[in-house]
Amino acid sequence: MRECLDEGILQSYFDGELSNEYMESVASHLGSCFECAAAARELEAEVSLLSNALAVEFDGTVPTERLRHRIDVAVAGLQLGNQNSVREPIAGRGWLQSLSGLFAFTPQRTFGYAALAVVLAFGTIIGVIQLRPDQSPTIDKQDVAEVVSPQPPISQNPNPGSGVVSIDTPTPVGSYSGVASVPVKKSRSERPRTIVNDQNVAQVKLLPGERSYLKTIAVLDSTIKSKSNRPMRPELRAEYERNLAVVDRALAATRNAAKKNPNDPDAAEFMFNAYQSKVDLLNTVADARLYNRP
Amino acid sequence: MSGQARALIQSMPKDIATAATALSFDEAFTLHHRAVFRTARAVVRDSALAEDVTQEVFLRLYRNLDSTPGEELLRAWLLRVTLNVARNTIRGQSRAAARDDEYQKTTTEAWFPQPEEDYERRLAIEEARRALDKVKEPMRSCLLLKQQGLSYREIATTLSLKETNVGSLVARGRKEFVRVYGKIGGVR
Repeated sequence: MRECLDEGILQSYFDGELSNEYMESVASHLGSCFECAAAARELEAEVSLLSNALAVEFDGTVPTERLRHRIDVAVAGLQLGNQNSVREPIAGRGWLQSLSGLFAFTPQRTFGYAALAVVLAFGTIIGVIQLRPDQSPTIDKQDVAEVVSPQPPISQNPNPGSGVVSIDTPTPVGSYSGVASVPVKKSRSERPRTIVNDQNVAQVKLLPGERSYLKTIAVLDSTIKSKSNRPMRPELRAEYERNLAVVDRALAATRNAAKKNPNDPDAAEFMFNAYQSKVDLLNTVADARLYNRP
Repeated sequence: MSGQARALIQSMPKDIATAATALSFDEAFTLHHRAVFRTARAVVRDSALAEDVTQEVFLRLYRNLDSTPGEELLRAWLLRVTLNVARNTIRGQSRAAARDDEYQKTTTEAWFPQPEEDYERRLAIEEARRALDKVKEPMRSCLLLKQQGLSYREIATTLSLKETNVGSLVARGRKEFVRVYGKIGGVR
């Protein structure tokens, strides 16, 4: 070989990738060519440097056992999938296989599942905390509703011919104890609570025949309140409030029924019975107040 | 057989693809899992990802066990799949470094030495990687495969090159690596 060696041939020579005949030819040339011998020495040094530099990249530990375990698990999953596909050639097989893959625990996935579990636990705790405050007020309202009447005071309409009266919109009523604890101290000259805030007024269309009952109730109510120069005894007031609440509840229910079934005479009759009950109650209380008046 | 695996088999010379004795799956794992894992780690630069890549490579081998090349070029086939899977993996991975840190904390087989144990070794790895990054493909892959002891024939098969060109590519890659490595202080 007379021509000088190119870098590829020289590299192949050092890597032992040439045929025996070619190897001998290259060796002969290196012995006679100063330049190629120098290039060969340089190549030898660079190969050594390269090998040492890359050795650190490839010297690291290989996690043989973990790899074997992971691959065994994955292969077992594949086999299981194949068996299932033979048994049940259903349309969603691929989707199910992807799901089964989710439950193949690997070291990396373990962290994912742990994080998911923590998030779910926090979500549950926060959900319980959020729900708790909602339950207690509900219970309170129910307790109050059993004791105190939701029925608002009724004021007379200044325009009686219109067929419409103003009724206070139902507002949350304080607890019974609160009502009982506040002594009713109204002077004779004090006007009954008939002043209605415009914002709290709802225009309610009266059903036929209601007007007379409402007028009577309003008169009785004002009578009871106007005669109350001295506070009602707490026991009596409690009894009065309780009875009034029961009557008002029945009145509201029957009124709703009558409103929904305007052509049903029974519904109207029930409503008028409820009105009558309220009138009777107010009458009784008003009489008692007048009779016991000092 | 997956389309990618079929394409790989078809791209190989027929005398290679139909070569002799086929290894069992366990034998193939025992013989070649180190080369697969190290090649994957050299590409993805992340031990946990390299494990994922290794698992995927051997799963593909399992699925295509009947059609893979025989013992002689099985390593080339595995490393070719490894390079493809690893490159696809790093395309979608932007947080490999963070994962590797977490991985090192949790594994008992940590690859990187602890900083206090061997700072010099860690630095040497980083310098080698930086120099290797400057070497263009396919020369870089030639160097990686050559470092693992693959023959020119195997390298040519793995990278779909002509066997006669491998020597030149290795030589050019080596020169480029040494040039960059000397510049960044790798030569001591």
